[in-house]
Amino acid sequence: MTEDPLTPSEAPRGYDLEVRHLTDRATRMGEWALQMVHDGWRAFDQGDRQLAQNVLDRNGRLDRLDDEMEHAVIAFLVLRQPAAVDLRTAAGLLKMTTHMDRIGRLGYDMGRLTTPVTGPRESPELRTLLQRMDDVVESMVHQALEGLEKGRVDLARDLFHRDDEVDRMNRQAQRTVIAEIGTNPAAAARLASLILVTRHFERIADNACKIAEKTIYAITGQRRTEYLPRQTPRLLYDEPS
Amino acid sequence: MSVDHLSAYYGEVRAVEDINLQIAERQATAIIGPSGCGKSTLIRCLNRLHETLPGARVEGKVLLDGENLYDLDATLVRRRVGMVFQKPNPFATMSIYGNVSAPLRFNSRLPGEEMDRIVLHSLKRAALWDEVKDRVDAPATSLSGGQQQRLCIARSLAADPEVLLMDEPCSALDPIATAKIEELIAQLKKDYTVVIVTHNMQQAARVADYTAFMYLGKLVEFSPTEDLFERPKEHLTEAYITGRFG
Amino acid sequence: MMFDRHGRRKIFSHSMTVLSGLAVVVILVPLVAVIYEAVVQGGAAFSVTFFTQRPANPCFAHPGIACPLGGVYTPIEGTLELIGLASLVAVPIGIGAAVFTVEYGRNRAIARVISTTADVLSGVPSILAGIFAFTLFLQFDKAIVNSTLDGSLALTVLMIPIVTRTCEEALRTVPESVREAALALGISRWKISVRIVLVTALPGVVTGVLLSVARAAGEAAPLLFTIGNGCLHPLQGIDQQGCALPLWIYWGATSATTNWYTLAWGAALLLILMVLAISITSRLVLNRTVRRMRGG
Repeated sequence: MTEDPLTPSEAPRGYDLEVRHLTDRATRMGEWALQMVHDGWRAFDQGDRQLAQNVLDRNGRLDRLDDEMEHAVIAFLVLRQPAAVDLRTAAGLLKMTTHMDRIGRLGYDMGRLTTPVTGPRESPELRTLLQRMDDVVESMVHQALEGLEKGRVDLARDLFHRDDEVDRMNRQAQRTVIAEIGTNPAAAARLASLILVTRHFERIADNACKIAEKTIYAITGQRRTEYLPRQTPRLLYDEPS
Repeated sequence: MSVDHLSAYYGEVRAVEDINLQIAERQATAIIGPSGCGKSTLIRCLNRLHETLPGARVEGKVLLDGENLYDLDATLVRRRVGMVFQKPNPFATMSIYGNVSAPLRFNSRLPGEEMDRIVLHSLKRAALWDEVKDRVDAPATSLSGGQQQRLCIARSLAADPEVLLMDEPCSALDPIATAKIEELIAQLKKDYTVVIVTHNMQQAARVADYTAFMYLGKLVEFSPTEDLFERPKEHLTEAYITGRFG
Repeated sequence: MMFDRHGRRKIFSHSMTVLSGLAVVVILVPLVAVIYEAVVQGGAAFSVTFFTQRPANPCFAHPGIACPLGGVYTPIEGTLELIGLASLVAVPIGIGAAVFTVEYGRNRAIARVISTTADVLSGVPSILAGIFAFTLFLQFDKAIVNSTLDGSLALTVLMIPIVTRTCEEALRTVPESVREAALALGISRWKISVRIVLVTALPGVVTGVLLSVARAAGEAAPLLFTIGNGCLHPLQGIDQQGCALPLWIYWGATSATTNWYTLAWGAALLLILMVLAISITSRLVLNRTVRRMRGG
């Protein structure tokens, strides 16, 4: 059971405090979402139905946090009419909370896939691989949130490299799963869920990158195209292993 | 219109320092900055009003259509570059018609019908016609503050200027009158080059295509409005528009 | 305690009120007395003939001997001529000087010179104006030394500073925003000064002119030795001897005759009424304009 991240706080005084307050609220929402991912994966991996249900119950709170953030940012916009960095931060936070909501939602989705693991399941190698994916992805989300909280553009930029690693792990995992369906047909149902899980991990990493993108925009005003090389989209089939 | 190495002095005190600025034709350009930054002084150099003060001096050039306004006759310059002031100042002894026709009566000899036509056109242009069409002979002072300001705009327009300068035109007005004038500016800039000095940043954001930020007599930054407010290049600009000072 | 702080302050305050009341009474008494005398004595002289006839020859009223009054037609005519001539010269000069000082002089030394000169001149004893005019004409042409022309010059000298000063004040009350607005329309400087600022200040200017006329109408000293005495005959041209109301009062009051004495009182009352009328008119004009300038 995680504790309620939002303790009642007194109203912020002064402009700077307001922006700080909004950022902190967003960060805490992100942590709530990250915890949902952590527990959602754990529940699925260990077949823990109770934990899974707990994760599902946390989604209501997530939605409420999203609404509250939206409301707070809009109030800030209309009352303070911010410009420059404050404006970019507010606009950025608005989009970031959407991504955080998606991250938490993906944790929820993973939790929903939970089944008791009394029967046949994936190989230990595959299980380890997926655990590693979880570690990397969770660490990425954590890094994105740290970058946001501390205003660290370097942390944000670093995330884009790690995204490539996640993509590779994703492709590797999917190939392994497909191979295992052939060798372990009894566990087909679980293996099918694993495909979804790897996709969820990849999406979580992507959303973490989006949070980093918006952090960089808020602090420097640069948009993605100004600092990332253009990527030619390719079919999954054509991607390098 | 362009400003070339312009400096302006009150006696020995330099209020405006080495300004270089290209004002886009038929666009609205706003000049913002904290009190005392020289924005009013600058705008008064554009229609050569600054030099009418005792001890005041101007260096540099202001070019309009390639001609340096400081090489021409000052009175003629002011017919091409009109100005609307912070506090509406219609001529109290004249009627509404009298005010709008003032530049025509004093600067030229026009037959009555021609004058009527121009007065009508100017009042329409200033979005005042509908409110005064049945009482153009009423004294100008019988109008409300916002109407008086639009009357002053109509009066300036009657002189058929190329550029219209506005020195904090809405400062003395209530929000509704202010909104009417801002709307008017959006229309006016189709036909005239508008330069507006304002201490209200949101007004600049609403009204202007380009914004210049001045501080302590110097031009700090000049960009399209959206860029200046979303992503200012100078720290000073950012500090000002986020309310850190001023 | 009777003389504690509070009590002392109250007594002081009361006694001040009483004293200032007394001061008002002291001021009013002579004023009321003069007006009363003028009305009673002068009113007795008023009649149609008072205004239409020339003064009769001086005489004493004895029972049985007729002593006709006559009228003050020539003094009235003379005063009007004098004021007319003086205004013709003083008003344009005075207004011109004021416009120059306020509109063009601003901080320049010449403006201050003009202002100071006007101030000094307005303080000059009026009899000196008379001496000046007398001496000047003496140099030019002895023949016209005692004439309406001579007298009007003296009055001009008196009027100019008043017109200049009041006109200056009136022009200064025109707010800078009017000049700014006109300048910004590309109207030339002199047009602004004359056709806009002066017009705006016109009521103040008119008041100033009226005040100077009232002053000139009431002056006797500068006319003492400049206009001569042509009151008993119809007035000829302006190069001939003239006549004036205030001067008539002097002669009439110092004569030992009864009819001239009575006429003097009548003239005094007439003069008081004239000056009163001019003052009230100018006050009304000023009030009406102030209201209009404020936006009615």
